[in-house]
Amino acid sequence: MNILVAIPLIPALVFFLFFLLPRATRTKMLFLPIGAMAVSLVLSLMAFSTVFPGAEKLAEHGAQFTSYTIGVIGGVPLNISLRLDALAALMLLVVTIVGMAVQVYSLSYMKGEERIGWYYAVLSLFTAAMLTLVLAGDFLLFYMSWEVMGLCSYLLIGFWNTNDEARRASIKAFLTTRVGDVGFAIGLAYMWATVGSFDIPTVLGSAHTWGPGVATAIALLLFFGAMGKSAQFPLHIWLPDAMAGPTPASALIHAATMVAAGVFLVARSLPIFEASGVALQVVLIIGATTALLAASMGSVQHDIKKVLAYSTISQLGFMFMGLGTGNVSAGMFHLFTHAFFKSLLFLGAGSIIHSLHTQDMREMGGVGKSMKVTTVTFTVGTLALSGIMPFSGFFSKDLILDHLWREGHYVIYSVALASAFLTAFYMARLWFRVFSGTPRKAGHAHESDMKILSPMIVLALLSVLAGATTLVFGEFLGSETEWPSLVMGGASTIVALSGIGLGWALFGNGRDPEAVRARASKVYMIVTNRFFLDLVAEQYIAGGYNRLSEKVNWFDKKVINGIVNGVGVACRQAGTQLRRLQAGRVQVYQRLVVAAVLVLVLVAVLATGV
Amino acid sequence: MTVGLPAFLLLAALLFSLGLYGVTSKKSAVMVLMSLELMANAVNINLVAFSRFLTPEKMTGQVFAMFMMVVAAAEIGLGLALVIALYRQTKTVELDHINELRG
Repeated sequence: MNILVAIPLIPALVFFLFFLLPRATRTKMLFLPIGAMAVSLVLSLMAFSTVFPGAEKLAEHGAQFTSYTIGVIGGVPLNISLRLDALAALMLLVVTIVGMAVQVYSLSYMKGEERIGWYYAVLSLFTAAMLTLVLAGDFLLFYMSWEVMGLCSYLLIGFWNTNDEARRASIKAFLTTRVGDVGFAIGLAYMWATVGSFDIPTVLGSAHTWGPGVATAIALLLFFGAMGKSAQFPLHIWLPDAMAGPTPASALIHAATMVAAGVFLVARSLPIFEASGVALQVVLIIGATTALLAASMGSVQHDIKKVLAYSTISQLGFMFMGLGTGNVSAGMFHLFTHAFFKSLLFLGAGSIIHSLHTQDMREMGGVGKSMKVTTVTFTVGTLALSGIMPFSGFFSKDLILDHLWREGHYVIYSVALASAFLTAFYMARLWFRVFSGTPRKAGHAHESDMKILSPMIVLALLSVLAGATTLVFGEFLGSETEWPSLVMGGASTIVALSGIGLGWALFGNGRDPEAVRARASKVYMIVTNRFFLDLVAEQYIAGGYNRLSEKVNWFDKKVINGIVNGVGVACRQAGTQLRRLQAGRVQVYQRLVVAAVLVLVLVAVLATGV
Repeated sequence: MTVGLPAFLLLAALLFSLGLYGVTSKKSAVMVLMSLELMANAVNINLVAFSRFLTPEKMTGQVFAMFMMVVAAAEIGLGLALVIALYRQTKTVELDHINELRG
């Protein structure tokens, strides 16, 4: 069997098998999804090795390619195809490595959960969909797997379906991303109308001939879909609520892979954005807005997972800024490193939650003394996210900042620097509140078992080492990258260190966070209320929709039902009147018949004119 | 003075109307049956009259009238049997009191 087909097919088969099995059998067969994941990981490594070290080798051998015709529309065959190029090979590695870590981790984290079999089934389906998405050689298959991922996200957020909050969060996530998906779908239709093909190389190859108007329209529609999936302003509101799902699922779906699919979509279709020009500016501005807003909102959260969720939104904004410079490797490198350190942070947070049974940072403290391994790995993740040399986040973030500066986007550059400052600040705030000081309400922590720790150790190693691949990475994706220059790297390091310093000054050594709130009460209030964006969404968008629904409901009840009921009432009234004729007296009927015959004869006579 | 077709038709119409009046207004079921006979015979007169004056060489109308008489005899026999059965059930032959068909 073709290796490209096998990679997504094996997890998909596990899902279908689990779908059919009864719950008790599923629970006993958890080795199946993990085994399938391992096979996919090995196959992905093999696939990667056929592409490595990049562009030249690809040009020599050509991309591996498999295509199936699923139908014919108007004489044009509709193909779905799998294609392995550098971008796809890279994403394969990210998805399978993080996926593998999460699946092993979940064995312990989800242990004793009644529906653990279903959890693994959905994880497998998700993995299959994500792998299909990265390998998709045409936009149709891309969109199909994109939607399957949306479904898996919905199922996993609402995994604890007896919890009202989780249920509502899952619906919010599903609907919000669906808003973006509508844009994506319209964009695809427009694309088909313009090119008559979904094949990615064909579409991208002809992008520069479309004219700026068409290219801008298609690019923005695609980007709208990406905004929904990657939780970009103003469609970011679903991601923090999505934290109601199981933590390992958050690590996989809402930190490393699915939310990065939007970035991947823009990276894939970057020639369309370049043909438009305007669209690139939009990507830059949306990315910058999101990065700054989300970073500031992350600074006031008390729920450890929500801090990380806002951080994810903010970092996705960074990736879009990188892509907005028109450089694939700037955005993708941050995606690559972020996948490792952010899933590490989520898994670390999960380890702490698992031990303390709370997500509220106000109840945590002094974890550093009792959970050594978790503390070390989490610290690695924190430093990587804050952008401290020599951790991977430093290199990838610097690449983005470097490109922003070099392309002359000075305003965006300063916004990015401010976001980087806030990133370092909220991570320091999180770190000091959780790991330093003395244990608070939640009590003493105890270290998790090896199933939880080993994936974290692997991810921590990757978070450290990924930065070293900067040059190889650029070459692999076929664009020039350099080590960060002294000035650029120095500037961002100073910003990051001052962010951490502010965090230490406010929250270090178990200082009282209440004092901070009192000093900046107004700003605090606005930021805590998430800039009222959720409120606006609920009041004016969802609320407007509700009011419209009420009007429609009124119309339906009064007018439509009025007509229907009116017919019924009229019939009944007529019947009441007519039944008086049915007196049961034969002679009355007789008279009616005679009268009717007379009338008919009269009509007949008059009609014939006799 | 010759008696033409219109005279017969007029007689038949008169008889029919009398019968119809009886059927719709008489209280007793027996009277209604008798009125029905009047109506049937009015039709018979029509048939014979048309046959005699319009197609005298054929006997179609007369034969039809013969059939009608046979049928009417059977009908009156059945009708009287029904009236007797009705009387046994309801102790009355007054049609106004028999209103089982009321809706």
